Amino acid sequence: MSSLQKYIIDQRESKPILLMTHVVYGYPTVADSLQLMASLLEQGVEFLEVQFPFSDPVADGPAITAACHAAVENKPELAQYLVDMAKLKTAYPDSRILMMSYLNPLYRFGLDRVVCLARGVISGFIIPDLPLEMGQQFADECINADIAPIWLATPDTDEERLKVVGKAAYGMLYCVSRRGVTGQHTDQLNDLSSYLQRVKAHVDVPLGVGFGIQSPQDVADLTGQADIAILGSALLNAFNQGGIPAVQQLVASLR
Amino acid sequence: MSHEGRFGQYGGSYIPEILHNSQQQLIAAYRSAMADETFVAELEWQLQHFSGRPTPLTFCPNLSKTLGGAQIYLKREDLNHSGAHKMTNVIGQGLLTKRMGKKRIIAETGAGQHGVASALIAARLGLECTVYMGAHDIERQYPNVFWMKQLGATVVSVESGSRTLRDALDEAMRDWAQNYQDTHYLIGTACGCEPYPEMVAGFQSVIGNEVKKQAAEQFGALPDKIYACVGGGSNACGIFLPFLDTDTELVGVEAGGIGDAPGEHAKRFHVADSKPGIAQGFASLFLQDDQGQLMETQSISAGLDYVSVSPILADLEAQGKVRMTSARDDEVLQAFRTLASNEGIIPALESSHAVAGALREAAALDPSQKIVINISGRGDKDIFNIAKAVKDTQFNEFLAGYLERETQA
Ligand SMILES: Cc1ncc(COP(=O)(O)O)c(C=O)c1O
Repeated sequence: MSSLQKYIIDQRESKPILLMTHVVYGYPTVADSLQLMASLLEQGVEFLEVQFPFSDPVADGPAITAACHAAVENKPELAQYLVDMAKLKTAYPDSRILMMSYLNPLYRFGLDRVVCLARGVISGFIIPDLPLEMGQQFADECINADIAPIWLATPDTDEERLKVVGKAAYGMLYCVSRRGVTGQHTDQLNDLSSYLQRVKAHVDVPLGVGFGIQSPQDVADLTGQADIAILGSALLNAFNQGGIPAVQQLVASLR
Repeated sequence: MSHEGRFGQYGGSYIPEILHNSQQQLIAAYRSAMADETFVAELEWQLQHFSGRPTPLTFCPNLSKTLGGAQIYLKREDLNHSGAHKMTNVIGQGLLTKRMGKKRIIAETGAGQHGVASALIAARLGLECTVYMGAHDIERQYPNVFWMKQLGATVVSVESGSRTLRDALDEAMRDWAQNYQDTHYLIGTACGCEPYPEMVAGFQSVIGNEVKKQAAEQFGALPDKIYACVGGGSNACGIFLPFLDTDTELVGVEAGGIGDAPGEHAKRFHVADSKPGIAQGFASLFLQDDQGQLMETQSISAGLDYVSVSPILADLEAQGKVRMTSARDDEVLQAFRTLASNEGIIPALESSHAVAGALREAAALDPSQKIVINISGRGDKDIFNIAKAVKDTQFNEFLAGYLERETQA
């Protein structure tokens, strides 16, 4: 079993649901984003999902897209990102860091080089524009380095595809709550149960649910149905409105 | 046909999981349509009766004589309905949309040519149409926006990023991820995930197939060289692919912009900043910085102002089957003038790049040689840019007068 999966199972013994909080590296500056990350880890979130910004984030909605564009202006560097993540990992050994990035910055840097430097620091990769079929070799390299290649499922993923995803699933599965991109609220999260039941029939790793998760109610709706609630745009919106204190307040209210 | 949409090291499908089903449906629908005689017959009928195909192959007696080199022929894609080769692709994909039972198309557009073509086919086939266009391009190309609106299309101004074609494409992909159940994403060039490059190049290959036949009729041989401008690569693929592995030399002409510094051009070949990359659904050459962030581009012709290029062309260039060159804005304007004044044909600024590439080489060729330039579109749409470039002050007076009368009325 992967270390990531083991960690999730261990944590879940005492907690009904785990939190994954998403932050864009370099937004509004590298230093500010690192401060935000430290404050989230200080608050005890189990997972920090740190997006390395890309100029063309096609799976993201307006809030994260704007943050990525602003972050790119600061010319963030992937090598420094990995150094910064290593420091956070040392300072907060009880949490896990996941790297989210579109493929091109990783590809430019060299996929094997990323995996090599991420070993022991990053627990999993989330790459929204890398489908299963195109990522076999990368996934194998990750698994060898005990990093989980985290695949995605969606409400429209059919049985046949779920079998394929289930076979590949490693560490955890990222279940997208609905169609579209990040940002919009997901109504009727309780409708998720039949979707998540279908997923569970084919997948035996823990499930995280993301896209549109915003409120304590959303997190409560997921409790008992999934292992991890994933918050992205909601945190970013809170940050844009009230800085780190607003984010802390939101996170504290969630469970 | 390609394996998993790959062309050498390029191509492939790099799309979010949410689009998996929709993409598989499109691949299957495209394959079955092309194997269906009724569909192919309907396509041919529409190409002829809606767009006016076949387009002529026009000999240029004056220009050939003046230059004293090769015999110059033009493939007249400017005579398509809508004034550009873009029409051919939208007819194909429009019919495919109907076949898939979808009721809405979305499109990205830079100059607005593909947007107008999409709006035209949507009106004809009874489809809803939303066109994504960068806010910056809307400012530069309002007349096309006007026509799209008249045709009933919704034009969405994209305010993010550089507010140009690249951002419009990102936004169209986001719409697709939300609405794929009833919506087909009608990509306007030979880029994107499988099957788009192959499909768009396939629909456009009618251009090259016609040239083959017309060349045989008019001069009893294959052309020695073919020139085409290269933005995303659809008109170039269309005229080149039927001539692969023949003795015809295939020459692509990219937008040289105003210089070689980053952000001053849209050249994806032979420049240090262009490297293999993966974005917007496919692997190809992308203009990018050392961190893999995509770069800004520049060209006098909005249609060539794109950060990447068809994976088909990237691969053919790597194999040495296509030669890539470029032309800067000033040389392009000169070529535009030369063709207009010698032959009475007004090429689009995009197509004027192909003209520039050809004029540069034609004089040195033997008069027995024949070259074909793909005039991918007509230049009427470029009236503002060209009036500005030739410093026609009367045009500004006309606009000022128009504004004055309208604001008084
Ligand atoms: C007239 C014309 N030619 C060429 C192009 C470039 O596209 P492509 O390289 O796909 O042919 C465009 C794009 O808008 C165009 O309008």
